Amino acid sequence: MNGQSAKAILLKTGPGSSIQDMGRMGFAQFGVPSSGAMDQRSFRWVNHLLQNDENDAVLEISQPGFAIRFNSPTQIALAGAIAHMKLKGREIQRTGIISIRSGDILEIGTFHLGARIYLGISRGFQSQSVLGSKSFYKGLTEISQLSTGAELSYIPNPTPVTGHNAAARWSPDWYAKEILTAYPGPDFCLLDLQTREKIVSESFTVSNFGNRMGIQLLELLPNQVPEIATNPIFPGMVQLTSGGKLLVLLRDAQVTGGYPRILLLDEESQWSISQKKPAEQIRFRLSSTSDKAI
Amino acid sequence: MKPSYTLISPYLGELQWDKVPTDALLAEQLAWMDLLNVEFAEQFLEIRQGFTALSIYWKSTENQTQFQNSIHRLQVKKHELPSSVWMLPVCYDPAFGRDLGSLALIHRMTANQLIELHSSATYRLHFFGFLPGFMYLNGLSERLHTPRKAIPDRKVEEGSVAIGGSQTGIYPTESPGGWHLIGRCPLPLFDPMKSPPVWAKPGDLVRFEPIGMEEMERLLQNPIPPKVL
Repeated sequence: MNGQSAKAILLKTGPGSSIQDMGRMGFAQFGVPSSGAMDQRSFRWVNHLLQNDENDAVLEISQPGFAIRFNSPTQIALAGAIAHMKLKGREIQRTGIISIRSGDILEIGTFHLGARIYLGISRGFQSQSVLGSKSFYKGLTEISQLSTGAELSYIPNPTPVTGHNAAARWSPDWYAKEILTAYPGPDFCLLDLQTREKIVSESFTVSNFGNRMGIQLLELLPNQVPEIATNPIFPGMVQLTSGGKLLVLLRDAQVTGGYPRILLLDEESQWSISQKKPAEQIRFRLSSTSDKAI
Repeated sequence: MKPSYTLISPYLGELQWDKVPTDALLAEQLAWMDLLNVEFAEQFLEIRQGFTALSIYWKSTENQTQFQNSIHRLQVKKHELPSSVWMLPVCYDPAFGRDLGSLALIHRMTANQLIELHSSATYRLHFFGFLPGFMYLNGLSERLHTPRKAIPDRKVEEGSVAIGGSQTGIYPTESPGGWHLIGRCPLPLFDPMKSPPVWAKPGDLVRFEPIGMEEMERLLQNPIPPKVL
């Protein structure tokens, strides 16, 4: 077997397809964001199924209208959004592990549930690693998003994965729920009581403005907080912008920001909101750290 | 000037100072960073710095609790801020700073007066943020403080020197941006293939040195690291 020569070619892709892994930790001091798969649960699941290393690189696909051709045998696994999919022109129902032969084409159509599909491959996609991660980011990796015609390297593996993993089923139930758990952010105390009450009692709508940096919510909140100093931000933090918009920061968010940081979503809620489509509703449930961590 | 420590999540907490950003506060923050890097190095994944806070992402809840419980007896060692200055060449030509004229008008001065004000000050680098390699600098003359643009530019070129609010900075990569563009620095500000990927560090001083078109073209073709004075 000629080790490094296997290629997968993107025959068709919308915007927002990228290679992702666990992301970068420890480079924020130079202004480098965390990056990494938006839905870390689905990302970990595909690597787990394939018996890969936990940080092996996968494809994150966030638009319908995607097709990829593999030129060598391999094993792939799919998780995340539930979509209409075809392999070699025939509809496939299942997510989980799929054995691929040379020339096989996988197509992804309409997303029924969820917003991002994770396509893992045996031993991970072999793209360039920069600052300890293969996760695409503009200015770091050579390309920041995949376009039609892009070629991805992988290591061929004709041996199907055996054992109990192979038949495991993927359930999207965990991200279909409306409630997101959040801790009060460092600037939550700057909000008046009425605004705090609104945040926990009302429901919010995912807007059309969303990408890997963050998702804007539709509803406006009054913002009487005076301008504050630029301070650290993290994926999962919710900022209240000067216009009263709520901005949920996600994996590619910058490392510092000047808007009040009013909430911090717990990890699972970050993965969950990454699977929400525009017009979906969410609610915040506040969790207290004080009784847990002291 | 002792900070308070706020718990944000089981893994994340923040040292906060109820102060305006100054050299003294920055020295205090860097002193805490020194202490964390020596005494708690194995216990956190990442520290992020802002103007009035240091956020610490701990490896475990226990690590955070341990820090929180010991904070009252921790003594930081004085951190001396450096006095050497990075000299950054900037071409303040309208070709690179398309808002130079309008900004001068807003502040009722000539473009030359604006350039003089901007390039005669010494700025203190507090931290990197916004984009990889973007320096948050303190020290912009109050006469140049300008609200950000109501409608941000879709495309700001790499190296653009700009003013927004009470800040001035250089865009290390092409990006959308809401600041007023006054010139361009031809030197690379971030190189992910180098370790570290930036040449300056928090606490360093920075000055802008006006250069003409010819030198600008020379430096754009043969970028060299900045000089230190």
